[in-house]
Amino acid sequence: MGSLEHANWFMRLLFLSLCTIIVASVLLAQRGREMFIRRIPGLTAIEEAVGRATEMGRPIFFSPGLDSINIVTLQALAILSYIVRLAASRATRIIVGLRSPTVFPIAEESVREAYDAAGRPENFRPEDVRFISDEQFAYALGAVGIMAREETATNFLFGAFYAESLILAENGRALGALQVAGCPEPTQIPFLIATCDYVVIGDEYYAASAYLTREPTLTGSLVGQDICKAIVIALILLGVGLATILAPDRNFLLTWLGGGG
Amino acid sequence: MWFSRLLQRLFPPAPTPAALYLYLAFALAGSIVLIVALHRLLGPRGRRWLIVFVTFIAGLFFGLEYFYPVHGDPEKNFLTDWIEPVSVMLTVVGALTVGLGIYSLFQVHGRALAQRRPGWHNSLAFFLATFAMLVFGLWEHYLHLPQPPPDVLPWPKVVYEILFNGLFAPLQAATFSLLAFYIASAAYRAFRVRTGEATLMMAAAFIVMLGQVPFGAWLTSFIPADSPAAFFRLEMLGEWVLRWLNTPAQRGIIFGIAVGALAMSLRIWLSLERGTFFSEQS
Repeated sequence: MGSLEHANWFMRLLFLSLCTIIVASVLLAQRGREMFIRRIPGLTAIEEAVGRATEMGRPIFFSPGLDSINIVTLQALAILSYIVRLAASRATRIIVGLRSPTVFPIAEESVREAYDAAGRPENFRPEDVRFISDEQFAYALGAVGIMAREETATNFLFGAFYAESLILAENGRALGALQVAGCPEPTQIPFLIATCDYVVIGDEYYAASAYLTREPTLTGSLVGQDICKAIVIALILLGVGLATILAPDRNFLLTWLGGGG
Repeated sequence: MWFSRLLQRLFPPAPTPAALYLYLAFALAGSIVLIVALHRLLGPRGRRWLIVFVTFIAGLFFGLEYFYPVHGDPEKNFLTDWIEPVSVMLTVVGALTVGLGIYSLFQVHGRALAQRRPGWHNSLAFFLATFAMLVFGLWEHYLHLPQPPPDVLPWPKVVYEILFNGLFAPLQAATFSLLAFYIASAAYRAFRVRTGEATLMMAAAFIVMLGQVPFGAWLTSFIPADSPAAFFRLEMLGEWVLRWLNTPAQRGIIFGIAVGALAMSLRIWLSLERGTFFSEQS
């Protein structure tokens, strides 16, 4: 197998095909084609979770995970933006606890814009978007402290979590909060399923902004993503079949995957 | 390459440490002036287009570097040599935001202390801890102790050791060890036999856990290791569950995540993620 520090021709072809499918789906959706999205319970529960906090008159806590700015955190911020709009329209306070100082200004701006978009700019409190600590466990304890002191009715844990996921979710549960989590980290998903009321797993995490906003561009991208997934599944099945019937030196798919650039 | 030569001519290496600090001060001041100027001169629409442009160029740079054909040994293309300087630049930008994080902490705890809110003593502890670590951390750094350190350490170094290795590190370790109890309580809830799925999970967990401990191996040690029934020894069965049931499921999830991340990356790169970071879709 060759190194994948740079793409070989098969990777170029595969990436180009997948990107073309996604962009084509986006363009089709923008031109008005109706696209179906299946129901995702974890994302549907967001509205119920915000409603619970509104009814109880208590705040919401949101954590965008531990990572600095990357695609996982950007998706978490997109979900945050939606939740803030929803909460702001119902005059419900939301507290955001951050681990990465790099994410801090982006999260603050995102929350401020969401309050503006909801028509409640006066309800935005800068101290509700808080940098807690860049140390993993100090962050977890700081976040649990906020949940306990502010008596949050709902906790949203969306983003990249590691060993501290259980500290956050188990304490949140003990404090009686309704918890919705989403994490693309396969090792943490079982912990979140055991401790949270609703969990968004795997690629559902990246479907969140499309599912929640139902904007044609995002919906098209989501449908394109599903078509790409079907292609990847077909490739896996082809690979399994070829590996079963052909010797490794005659397996052309193996040669393509590791072939020269 | 002409661009490299131009950069080297414009920014020659600092001849002395003092000149390096001067260059850094100028670079910092220049960056602040540039950011303030852009903030003042560009309206919301202009700022949005600037973000779109910078995002596209950054994505194009990393994408091209990965996909453009490579030559030579080590294999590289015309952009590979720029990966490290650009990554360093991103690290520097990230490091500058630490100041914003500290400002946020000071703001929240300063207000709690000034207004004597409930729990204000925690905020006081925060300020004391921050200043103590800052002062003794810097002091210890600039002592320039020889290696190996002397038997009798200077007192600022002793205070730093107490604060870091005597307080901070044990607190981290204590928090980490709490996980054992949280795992036990979460596992108890997850494995309660209430539904078919929970029963299946309980059975799988039981096999895997027993397969990992000597007691489990002892339980089925009566099955000869070289017999056809050796598969039913608990350590073999546990390994089979992990390798042939758990790993494919995890890989399936990872494939889905990778495709989702690709779609999300495309949306961010082409600024299609409207209604979240950039603007409402018109």
